[in-house]
Amino acid sequence: MMNSLCDMKFASIEEIQQGFKNAQYICNRKIATTLYLAYHLGKPILVEGPAGVGKTELAKTAAVYLDISLIRMQCYEGLDESKALYEWKYGKQLLYTQMLKDKLNDVVKGADGLSESIDKLHQYNDIFFSESFLEPRPLLKALHEKEGAVLLVDEIDKSDHEFEAFLLEILSDFQVSIPEIGTIEAEVIPFVFLTSNNTRELSEALKRRCLHLFIPLPDPKLEREIIQIRVPSISEILKVQLVSFVQQLRELDLKKVPSISETVDWARVLLLLHADRLSSDLISETLHVLLKFEEDIKVAEENLYDMTKLAIKEAAV
Amino acid sequence: MDQILSDFILALRSSGIRISIPESIDAMDTVKLTGYYDREVLKDSLAAVLAKSLFEKEIFEECFENFFSFDAFSEEGEDSSEPMETEISEVDSSLSQMILSGDTGGLAASMREAAQEVNITGIQFFTQKGLYIHRILRHMGIAELRQDMRRLYKEDTPSSRKIALKLEEGLDYLFENVKDFVEKQFSLYSPSVTEKLLEDYLKNVKLSNLEQRDFHRMHNIIQKMVKRLNDIHSRRRKKYKRGQLDFRKTLRNNITYQGLLFDIQWKKKKVDRPDIIAICDVSRSVEAVARFLLLFLYSLNKALARIRTFIFCSNLIEVTHVFNEYPVEEALVKLKSGVGLGIVLGRTDYGQAFRDLKEDWFHLITNKTSVLILGDARNNFGDPETGILKSIQERSKRLVWLNSEPRSFWGVGDSEMKKYLPYCHLARECNTVTHLERVVDSLL
Repeated sequence: MMNSLCDMKFASIEEIQQGFKNAQYICNRKIATTLYLAYHLGKPILVEGPAGVGKTELAKTAAVYLDISLIRMQCYEGLDESKALYEWKYGKQLLYTQMLKDKLNDVVKGADGLSESIDKLHQYNDIFFSESFLEPRPLLKALHEKEGAVLLVDEIDKSDHEFEAFLLEILSDFQVSIPEIGTIEAEVIPFVFLTSNNTRELSEALKRRCLHLFIPLPDPKLEREIIQIRVPSISEILKVQLVSFVQQLRELDLKKVPSISETVDWARVLLLLHADRLSSDLISETLHVLLKFEEDIKVAEENLYDMTKLAIKEAAV
Repeated sequence: MDQILSDFILALRSSGIRISIPESIDAMDTVKLTGYYDREVLKDSLAAVLAKSLFEKEIFEECFENFFSFDAFSEEGEDSSEPMETEISEVDSSLSQMILSGDTGGLAASMREAAQEVNITGIQFFTQKGLYIHRILRHMGIAELRQDMRRLYKEDTPSSRKIALKLEEGLDYLFENVKDFVEKQFSLYSPSVTEKLLEDYLKNVKLSNLEQRDFHRMHNIIQKMVKRLNDIHSRRRKKYKRGQLDFRKTLRNNITYQGLLFDIQWKKKKVDRPDIIAICDVSRSVEAVARFLLLFLYSLNKALARIRTFIFCSNLIEVTHVFNEYPVEEALVKLKSGVGLGIVLGRTDYGQAFRDLKEDWFHLITNKTSVLILGDARNNFGDPETGILKSIQERSKRLVWLNSEPRSFWGVGDSEMKKYLPYCHLARECNTVTHLERVVDSLL
């Protein structure tokens, strides 16, 4: 769909996995398979999963890997066409009509009566509603991009139902209709990612047009790999202890369980503190990096001793 | 479309995953890309194309394992004696030959072929199993096998009797295998009908008889219902916005423009957004029903903007925040145990509940509010406080009482329903989802 270089990068599932790893993103086979399919079928991917498992990061990495631009559209309640697709440059239109006043006079000069001058003006139809007066917003930009682009529609579940329906035309045909101009088609089909935190159920119609990928919280092995690639200077023993501790935290009854991004942050914090292994004191001092609710920290502190012990024991094996 | 894939999609559909036609075309393209040779890749890619939520992914997983399992004939251990050429030449039908030579692969292939011939994917009810077993066996040529056996018994020589005995054993073995096969196919293709039946059944079964395992399904049904009701009513609201010319108002407004009809006014019906106060009894007498009533209130809470929810037993507390903060299962557990909410789960006291309501929350009840009371009105012979109920009725737009007991039980024993009845705009028996639906419709 894009060029041969990109095709080569998406030649096989293993290729993708390796390429993403080089771009500092560990993707398991499931993710790589979905990427492979999405690329070759030319379909958008709908990525779901808990917050902070790297949904947005996936799209960013894809852009880096393919070496094309990333166009990001953050969804929120009340997002509408004029902010997502295009808007007329009203100021410019006004300015131009003012500046061209004399010219307009020339044009209609010699015309007999009102209807004739209107007819004359019609010959220059819609000059003020052409593409040069169009302010492209993310979606239109993505369609215009000559090299192809990665379009990231972030947190689609935050937008309204109406907007979701509006997206359908773009997602299935990669084209948009602008009443004054006509239909604009994509020059190169963009690689589309939609992410959702599942705060509401998305419509069937939207799901039907996308491939669906669910990214769960990672298992210990994967998480260790991620830490390794994100924080390369971390010591082996600290890495194992830290992952084990975080995995145990996720078992607890918490308001918000720590995500991968929080684990990475924590690893960086520990590195800054020059720690090379975990201890209960160290954990209780830095726990607020992982947990964002007072109640959660309290729950975790109750079990802190046992969990630390287990984490240390696991690393010793 | 290739037969395996279309069968698989059929199997997925019948286990409750909705798959549209474009999606099955996608699946076909996917298989073209990935091929069948790597099982894991096939599974991941089909999952991406066909199962579009976490719940569907789980079903998909199970279905995939079932469908792409290897269904060869089970090897028969003891029958390893080398078949003799002479034995095989004694029988005519190909089925008997396969049995005697122990050709399990051939048998499996012939079974699959026969299954396709008799259209096994059409199986729907468990009563059809016998029929399909019979049809498959007939297609595999069981009649010829029987003929062989009859002939051999007739010949009545020691060797022919031995072969006949072997064939008989083989027949049993064949029957067992075909039966297993049909069972499996049934579990793959049938549930669609059963699922639908179950849904209908759940709608009409008494709420108190529902099991915990049906909880998830029930949640879905109720959500569907609430969404549908919400849709209907939001559409009606839009219609209400259109209006006729309001001549008087137009004249009045245009006096400032020297009587020119410049600013035209339209008659508008006022939009009444549903404003509900729900009060639910969670005492032991309604324990079994309460879970589902709470479930219902939870869904309602998510769909409507203006709803306040209260529960009571010995006293009354507000729980709207619990619904807003927690996911459904957690919220229900929290409400049922009542821990940390300040509710006293002692004797049910409707009188106290009404007094609490009057003291703390009476300002919420206005002439636009619908009050919904869910409970069996069994007050343990306490003071029913009908006076307060009367004033609630006077203040509110509507007072609806949903009683989990059938009408004939009202007023029997410690039930105060007969005393409350005159003050309710509407009092209904409500112990199935269908009842609920009917009431809510009249409420919004």
